Amino acid sequence: MFRVTMKEDLNEQDYYLEVESPHVSRHWRPGQFVIIMTHERGERVPISVATINGGRVGMFIKKLGKTSVELYRDFKVGSSLYAVAGPLGRPLKLESYGTVVLASDAVCGHAEQLGLAQELAKLGNKVISIQTFKTEKEVYPEKYLAKKYVDEYFITTLDGTAGYKGHYIDLLRELLARREVKAVFAGGALANLKKLAEATAGLDVRVYALVRTIMVDGTGMCGSCRVRYNGVIAYACRDGPWFDARLVDWDDVLRRDARFKKVEKIALDKYLAR
Amino acid sequence: MVKKRFTPKVLPVSERLRSFGEVVLGYDYETSVREASRCLRCPLWFAPCSKACPLRVKVPAFLEYIVKGDLEAAARKVYEDNLFPSITGRVCPQEWFCEGNCVVSKIGESVSVGLLERYVGDYARENGLDEKILAEMVSKNSGVKGRVAVVGSGPAGLSAAGWLRLRGYEVVVYEALHRPGGVLAYGIPEFRLPRSVLDHEIKKVENLGVEIRLNHVVGKTVLLSELLSEYDAVFIGSGAGTPKLLNIPGVDLNNIYTANEFLTRVNLMRAHLFPEWDTPISVGKTTLIIGGGNTAMDAARVALRLGSKPVVVYRRDREDMLKTTRRDEVLHAEEEGVEFKYYLQPIEFLGDENGFVKAVRFEVMEPLNELDERGKKKIVGTGRYVEIPADTVVIAIGLEPNRLLMEESGLRFNEDGTIAVDDHLMMSLPGVFAGGDAIRGESTVVEAMADGKRAAEEIDLYVRRKKGLA
Ligand SMILES: Cc1cc2nc3c(=O)[nH]c(=O)nc-3n(C[C@H](O)[C@H](O)[C@H](O)COP(=O)(O)OP(=O)(O)OC[C@H]3O[C@@H](n4cnc5c(N)ncnc54)[C@H](O)[C@@H]3O)c2cc1C
Ligand SMILES: Cc1cc2nc3c(=O)[nH]c(=O)nc-3n(C[C@H](O)[C@H](O)[C@H](O)COP(=O)(O)OP(=O)(O)OC[C@H]3O[C@@H](n4cnc5c(N)ncnc54)[C@H](O)[C@@H]3O)c2cc1C
Ligand code: FES
Repeated sequence: MFRVTMKEDLNEQDYYLEVESPHVSRHWRPGQFVIIMTHERGERVPISVATINGGRVGMFIKKLGKTSVELYRDFKVGSSLYAVAGPLGRPLKLESYGTVVLASDAVCGHAEQLGLAQELAKLGNKVISIQTFKTEKEVYPEKYLAKKYVDEYFITTLDGTAGYKGHYIDLLRELLARREVKAVFAGGALANLKKLAEATAGLDVRVYALVRTIMVDGTGMCGSCRVRYNGVIAYACRDGPWFDARLVDWDDVLRRDARFKKVEKIALDKYLAR
Repeated sequence: MVKKRFTPKVLPVSERLRSFGEVVLGYDYETSVREASRCLRCPLWFAPCSKACPLRVKVPAFLEYIVKGDLEAAARKVYEDNLFPSITGRVCPQEWFCEGNCVVSKIGESVSVGLLERYVGDYARENGLDEKILAEMVSKNSGVKGRVAVVGSGPAGLSAAGWLRLRGYEVVVYEALHRPGGVLAYGIPEFRLPRSVLDHEIKKVENLGVEIRLNHVVGKTVLLSELLSEYDAVFIGSGAGTPKLLNIPGVDLNNIYTANEFLTRVNLMRAHLFPEWDTPISVGKTTLIIGGGNTAMDAARVALRLGSKPVVVYRRDREDMLKTTRRDEVLHAEEEGVEFKYYLQPIEFLGDENGFVKAVRFEVMEPLNELDERGKKKIVGTGRYVEIPADTVVIAIGLEPNRLLMEESGLRFNEDGTIAVDDHLMMSLPGVFAGGDAIRGESTVVEAMADGKRAAEEIDLYVRRKKGLA
């Protein structure tokens, strides 16, 4: 069960992992995620779904802490994960908006773009994709980019070594000024999603963001993932993880994301010292 | 006759402080025979203990076998009505059921039915009798009567699955988490219900031929409509898993947990063994637990074992707390040094510059001369306030049913989120039955098990009718 069928580097920090999970792939819709566990002692870790190939679920994962590093180092093609649960979260209710922008600057956002682009195209939207990387070296291999599914495609790098120089927010500002964009779907670094919400405040465009919070069960049972949304408490795993970016209390999200920083470091250091 | 009950062995307080080992160690053989001898052996048609038991365990009959020293016969008697004596014997609030109605309690202390049931259950388990008894029970069936899907593997689901197997059905249980057991696995700590006991009880159900599919969220991974087309009937035991939060300022601060998150991180994910186990928990020096139910007691005693100082803050008084909280848990918490503060209602959480909680502001409450529907004193604010410093807070003010499962199914809910069922435990959708916390709201393990058992009976009737067999 949950056998690893493929593992490939995307760049120095990010990798692609494909796992047999036919139970997840049958009903998965864009916007939904999975929860994986490496082994019995593992943490329940939420991960976006990048690809569905038959009964196999493909993910983009960043080597960040104990789980993601261990998964990279100790799991090979043929190894099995202890658990894959899902699909979790609410599928996005996508519409025919007209011109739509997808924007991302980190693993989970890049992953979500692939499914969203295909679905939005099916609904007759004109889809523009912006993917931000730090430098040219970090740009993913072509087959893992949203490029092939969209009408217009931009890469931006922070240092300008590839594509547009700057962040997706910078380019998006230009697009919003020049074009009639009806909706934006963004995922990735939380601090930048906060900036995106601020940059688009008051504009006549819908802005949806992937709210990445710390989860345990992923089924609405614990409240770990809670976020202040439009003044009330919402559970990202059950009511999200996609929300209207301008109704999210991003300071709350950022604060709660740092809850376990101290102890997480202990786990990683201990694993690396093995 | 002996008016006082015999006390069980208990782990000394000094050994409990940093350990998750079981607290109540139970009776040995001699003590259980002596305790069982205190029973007046009311005839079964009368026995108030048995009538008060949601599972109708024939208490005087199984106690009589203990007195005779025939533990196998005692186990058989229990298993006629209850497949999980090692669980109910440990976690039932017996004072509201069997023991609370024991005739002996009119002249002395009631017979310790819970500890005796646990003794018999443990004896059967440790000697392989439970598997033997169940194998005999299941072998009475000829052929398969039908197939039933069970949603959730808490006490309601496990009980429904077990009794359905015993009635000759093929059963598949769908569980959202990676581990079966429901609240027994993620809520109730192992110092009350050891993992080895729970694991065995679940294995027992699997050995009966029940398949448990983990990591399957019904409504997401498989849809209710799919289950209905694949199975003859569906039983929903999805529990009351969603925590209520206090809607007061500061509730979003870090280190404020719901009891479910706090307990799940420890009981299910074993954060107390971090970093050997990967899931973290962060607790400070003082943990304030808001609430006064079973969940609050469990959270307080877990906090204590994580090395924090627990303070339970309840808005009424101790007497009212005992109306809805298992007595033993309150007593154990008190003797372990958990501090209790009464008549305080939280109104605001205060945080430090990093967004971690540092204190809680309460309004001092006072009782009125009036009782509410549950027989508790009504309370009102006094306009006086106190601030209690705390670097960790656990909110344990209750749960409501998890609506996730049913969002897309078009099923009918009551206003409080519970699932509406008819007198036969059937929902608005024919062939779909439900029980346990999903229909009752927060309730008890034994009532969930009793619902599972009754649903098995109702499902049996429904399926046989549908197939023209009844
Ligand atoms: C809906 C959703 C989709 C996600 N998609 C992806 C993805 O496609 N690729 C990817 O690499 N990561 C994704 N994440 C984040 C991923 O879950 C965390 O990075 C992962 O848990 C890190 O675990 P770790 O042990 O490697 O690092 P740790 O050292 O444990 O944690 C590093 C950081 O990861 C976050 N984190 C830690 N534990 C959890 C948890 N249980 N739940 C959520 N976040 C946590 C926190 O920000 C933490 O500070 C997603 C999260 C959510 C909620
Ligand atoms: C901390 C705590 C302590 C308690 N202590 C006691 C006690 O000492 N004595 C007592 O009698 N009672 C106690 N209770 C109450 C008791 O645990 C519950 O009444 C009982 O567990 C209800 O059983 P259930 O089977 O209905 O639901 P649960 O035990 O909640 O089980 C429901 C199961 O269904 C699963 N599920 C939910 N939705 C889905 C879905 N869509 N698909 C698949 N699976 C799903 C859940 O993951 C879970 O495993 C306590 C409760 C708590 C929270
Ligand atoms: S992760 Fe537990 S409620 Fe969302």
